[in-house]
Amino acid sequence: MIRPFKYSKPRFLREALEALEKENTRALAGGSDLLVEMREGKSQPEHIVDVKAIPELSCFSIGKDGITIGGQLSLNELADSKELGQTCPILGDAVRTVATPQVRNRATLVGNLCTASPAADMAPPLFVLNAAVVVASKAGEQRIPIQRFFQGPKKNCLTPGQLVLRVEIPPCSSGRGVFMKKSRVQGHDLATINVAGWANPQDGSLRICIGACGPTPVLLTGSDELYQRAVSRDELLDGLAMLAQDQIAPIDDLRASAAYRRHLVTVFLGRMVRILFPEEGGTSRAS
Amino acid sequence: MSTDQEYRYIGKGISRLDGLEKVTGSAQFVHDMAFPGMLYGKTVKSPHACARIVSIDISEAEKMPGVCAVLVGRELPYKVGIYMIDKDILAKGVARYQGEPVVAVAARSELAAEEACAKVKIVWEELPAVLDPREGLALAAPLVHPELASYSYMKGVFQPQPGTNISHHQKIRKGDAEKAIDQAEIVWKTQFYNPPVQHVAMETHTCIAHALPGSQARIWTSAQSPFTVRNLFSACFGIPHQNIRVHVPYVGGGFGGKAGIHLEPLAYLLSHKAGGRPVKLTMTREEEFGTIPSRQGLYSQFTTGATRDGKIVSLIATYIWDAGAYADYGVNVGRAASYSGAGPYEVPNCRIDSLVVYTNKVFGTAYRGFGHLEVLWGIERNMDIGARQLGLDPVEFRRRNVLRPGAKTITGETISEHTGRVDLCLEKVAEEIGWSGIQTEEERAQARDSGKLRGKGVALLHKAPAMPVFTSSAALLKFNENGSVDLLTSITDYGQGTYTALAQCAAEELKMPIERIHVPWESDTALTPFDWQTVASRGAFMGCKAVMAAARDALQQIKETAAQILRAPVGELVCRDEAVFVAHRPEERLSYREVVMGYSYANGNSIGGPVIGRGHYIAQGLTHLDLETGQGLPALDWTYGAHGVEIEVDLETGEITVLNLATALDVGQVLNAQSLRGQIIGGVVQGLGSALLEEFRFSPQGRLLNAGFVDYKIPTSKDLPRKMSQHMILTEQLDGPYGARGAAEHPMISIPGAIGNALCDALGIDFFELPLNAERVWLGIQRQRSVLQNTLPRAIMLPQAIKLPQTVHLDRGGG
Amino acid sequence: MLHEIPLYTISVEVNERTYTEKVPAQMTLLQFLRERLCLTGAKEGCGVGECGACTVLLNGKAVDACLVLAVEADQASVRTVEGEARDGELTLLQRAFIEHGAVQCGFCTSGMLLSAQSLLEKNPHPDQEEIVEAISGNLCRCTGYVQILEAIEAVALGREEGG
Ligand SMILES: Cc1cc2nc3c(=O)[nH]c(=O)nc-3n(C[C@H](O)[C@H](O)[C@H](O)COP(=O)(O)OP(=O)(O)OC[C@H]3O[C@@H](n4cnc5c(N)ncnc54)[C@H](O)[C@@H]3O)c2cc1C
Ligand code: FES
Ligand code: FES
Repeated sequence: MIRPFKYSKPRFLREALEALEKENTRALAGGSDLLVEMREGKSQPEHIVDVKAIPELSCFSIGKDGITIGGQLSLNELADSKELGQTCPILGDAVRTVATPQVRNRATLVGNLCTASPAADMAPPLFVLNAAVVVASKAGEQRIPIQRFFQGPKKNCLTPGQLVLRVEIPPCSSGRGVFMKKSRVQGHDLATINVAGWANPQDGSLRICIGACGPTPVLLTGSDELYQRAVSRDELLDGLAMLAQDQIAPIDDLRASAAYRRHLVTVFLGRMVRILFPEEGGTSRAS
Repeated sequence: MSTDQEYRYIGKGISRLDGLEKVTGSAQFVHDMAFPGMLYGKTVKSPHACARIVSIDISEAEKMPGVCAVLVGRELPYKVGIYMIDKDILAKGVARYQGEPVVAVAARSELAAEEACAKVKIVWEELPAVLDPREGLALAAPLVHPELASYSYMKGVFQPQPGTNISHHQKIRKGDAEKAIDQAEIVWKTQFYNPPVQHVAMETHTCIAHALPGSQARIWTSAQSPFTVRNLFSACFGIPHQNIRVHVPYVGGGFGGKAGIHLEPLAYLLSHKAGGRPVKLTMTREEEFGTIPSRQGLYSQFTTGATRDGKIVSLIATYIWDAGAYADYGVNVGRAASYSGAGPYEVPNCRIDSLVVYTNKVFGTAYRGFGHLEVLWGIERNMDIGARQLGLDPVEFRRRNVLRPGAKTITGETISEHTGRVDLCLEKVAEEIGWSGIQTEEERAQARDSGKLRGKGVALLHKAPAMPVFTSSAALLKFNENGSVDLLTSITDYGQGTYTALAQCAAEELKMPIERIHVPWESDTALTPFDWQTVASRGAFMGCKAVMAAARDALQQIKETAAQILRAPVGELVCRDEAVFVAHRPEERLSYREVVMGYSYANGNSIGGPVIGRGHYIAQGLTHLDLETGQGLPALDWTYGAHGVEIEVDLETGEITVLNLATALDVGQVLNAQSLRGQIIGGVVQGLGSALLEEFRFSPQGRLLNAGFVDYKIPTSKDLPRKMSQHMILTEQLDGPYGARGAAEHPMISIPGAIGNALCDALGIDFFELPLNAERVWLGIQRQRSVLQNTLPRAIMLPQAIKLPQTVHLDRGGG
Repeated sequence: MLHEIPLYTISVEVNERTYTEKVPAQMTLLQFLRERLCLTGAKEGCGVGECGACTVLLNGKAVDACLVLAVEADQASVRTVEGEARDGELTLLQRAFIEHGAVQCGFCTSGMLLSAQSLLEKNPHPDQEEIVEAISGNLCRCTGYVQILEAIEAVALGREEGG
């Protein structure tokens, strides 16, 4: 049972920010994490600030200078956007693996990030897309790179009085992305592991992020150099696998053993690289 | 074989009678019910697998707003149990599993009850727990029930072993199994494991109890067997049966988990203590997993002997059941699974020891298949392993050993032509999956390069209802003024479609349209006639038999009245199209409506009276099993079947995709084609859950870690085989209704075996433990790689994890 | 802990009737429908968004009513299974569920119907994959889903007759 609390649904950002300064106060977006935590007694806020009436969180734009997704946008609104699907298919691919149709009608992208689960399915694509989280407080707005936003298992970098307004994704027209998730069933399940990759042949960058294999999603360091150096796809793959095994720190839990996760990471890196670079031997940046 | 043409309703795909109420949301489940003044119950549960209750302080809880009653175990001098009376209503002295209710609260709202529970203070002293039944058998093991000797139990059927953790030891002895093994040309040994799993009915257990003045009780409960609830309730409290009224409205799934008595006594005691206000006690999904009984785990071990040409000569099997903290139906699962415990094969020499062992875990109960899914996982894998030892095709090996007319089962029953044809089921599924023999290593090596391996497998199954020898059903057919009929039964239709089948049967027998047969969707022990329990795939079988008898009785009454009016002997009358007439003068007819409430002559004289057909059926010819040898006649009807599957395995991740799954069952006769198909598909998919996904996971301290859907996954619409097909074999059951047999549990049995065999065909690796989830399959592949690298001869790998204790003291004490 | 439980006035349209009620913040939409309005068609199978037994349409979209607060539904329109049939006339989908044997115990049925209904309203002719996806958040332990999928498909293909 959810314990009693006070509810407000401010229509002005200022009001919300003030409310959020109070102790034991939580923002409510789609509620698919927060209400579950409350029902299970894992958190017991006294105040809930519903963010769904604040105009600053309703933005959704896709343009030359990037993509902006406000804190009210539900996952299904993203999945249903044809424009987003064309501009940045990796996001839609990830969205469709999250939870159930009913949950996706409520759950937000921002809420997914704020919960900061190491297995959050929306995190890896945003990591590889170099997204930033725009945070407001009474002191003003702040742009936080997504990597810094994730601090530890279920721990983000927000302090009381802060609210995420939106996520900003830099232009992503030159590049190709892949998202993959392995879970225990075909139906809804949290990720055993998830991986996202983004290759940009123009600037020679390759970004890879692995979820559910450490306290936060792991953005591989050193993948760019590998990409630039590797003479064959196999070489790239071997190199990435080694990087990944070095940098991830999976644990044993109900969903999988650490050993299986390590194995899956190698498998899925392989599958991902084969999609990113469909031609044998060709990691060619010119393609 | 009967032909469908003879029947107007039997065998047809009549849509469910309850469909309308269910699609409009108007069907009322106990989940939906509330009464004026009703309170809500909640419980405080043990956080430990085994711990002594040092003290309980409820003083703060009692003071919480809205609280009307707080109960602790020491106030309650009662014990409950169906076969073994071993369970306190709230833990007393010690708690025997994590999740066991210790304190209960009734309050004006669920929230108030929960908040009061949070204020209860309990001091615990943790005790050593028995978490593995094999360790529970050791002489030095702690005893889960040191008082076992003092418990009452069903004598002549069960054999608890005081001074041990064994709540029942079932023995089957046929021929001389040891000697036959010694003399067998080929002998092989295997062992297997099934984890405990949950039923996961979508409606969790819930009930409302109302303690009324004068030791009266009224209970509304989501249960399968209203009369069993009443009977056990009466036994528990010493309240006479007629003072207890149990109502069962719509039930949101049961699968065996609601067969017995669960929350009703506690809800009643809370109501009593709260001054007689009705109390509703509903399990959350977490409690459904952690507090309500589940399907018990099983360790099984086989030694099989065969001749070189593939005839089984002997089977020695040991079944060790992880029964959890209380016996419930578990003891009977251990019994019933043993008499099917050699599979549908002719085994001339057989020794089975089935040990139901108490452990400090959530306890076991009936679950669709009643132990058969568990034992047949091992038996059917053992058959494929044996075939390999013999160099035989697994289908051929089965062909040479299946039970055929003239064969004797392991309990001494002779199979007749009408018992059912497992051989035909086998041939059917083999054909459906295009069986062409086990793949060779070369074939596998070729496939391996593609990363995805395919494999095929078959598995057979059989099951008879597990029930007492005196099991009975009754039915009433009550005519209404307009000549329509109310069919009264206390069988519970919690989704199987039994009521629709009974209505079909009544319409068929009474020669009237099914639209005019009404089955009220509530059993009420005060108003509907006795029925033992709705379990064991016996509902349609025995219910139809009772309805047929009731219809005969009703027609006789109609004819007796009509005979006077038509001035013809009863023997000359026929009933058809809702009318009764003289056989050779159909124009002299009376409609049922004219007769069923009595008939008035022109001058006002009246005869006859309201027609109420009454019928019953009691299981015929069953005997108790001999305690020492297990010999006897336990089975009302045997339903045989087979599954054939084709799977694809992702070599890199271990993930299994089921491409094709064919099921054949010898159902004797189809009563309702649509519900039969629904039962089969539903059962198969549930079987896939057991085969691929489902298991309870415990911490080393015995805490259940996955009590919820986040980490206990059941199949969704995305987890179905690419193709499924269902095939009926129709070998008439002579005493079955229209020749039919039970078929509700069978579809899920042997799904794991079929998948395991297909997996072995694909990979050349034996798996011994369920579920066959991706990680387990991957681990198997890893292990085999290391075996191959060390170029060890490829023998059967006995996984380290499932060693049986060296000394199993089978014949210790009692007996 | 709060000493006084604050109440909030909400105005919700449910099956085309507007209800104005005072509710505590912790009350879920599911509790509101079942306990306040006695619309018990939506069920609780888990309370945490995993099973879909509580599925209702909120402003036309399928949601788990157990994960929506009643206060969040202020000014919204809600459809429950009770509002689907009009004047005793079943919807095509309801009829197809009965005819195809898509119902066993019936506990998942209202949620299934609404998930399927929301799909068909958005996309009247979905393919099989879309149908499977639409009900993937609704657990059913009885049917094995096949007959449910067949019922929805029959409506999607126009095989279920109107009128
Ligand atoms: C059945 C089920 C299945 C699920 N499956 C998946 C899955 O497969 N993959 C996956 O990644 N997740 C899954 N989830 C988790 C969940 O759906 C997602 O994390 C979701 O995106 C959270 O978004 P929300 O809007 O519902 O967040 P809420 O629950 O509203 O909020 C989540 C957290 O973020 C905070 N918050 C919300 N908005 C803001 C803001 N603007 N500023 C600051 N803080 C804020 C809240 O206070 C809260 O702590 C599942 C959940 C359920 C119930
Ligand atoms: S009760 Fe809402 S999803 Fe299960
Ligand atoms: S019909 Fe019983 S859960 Fe779906």
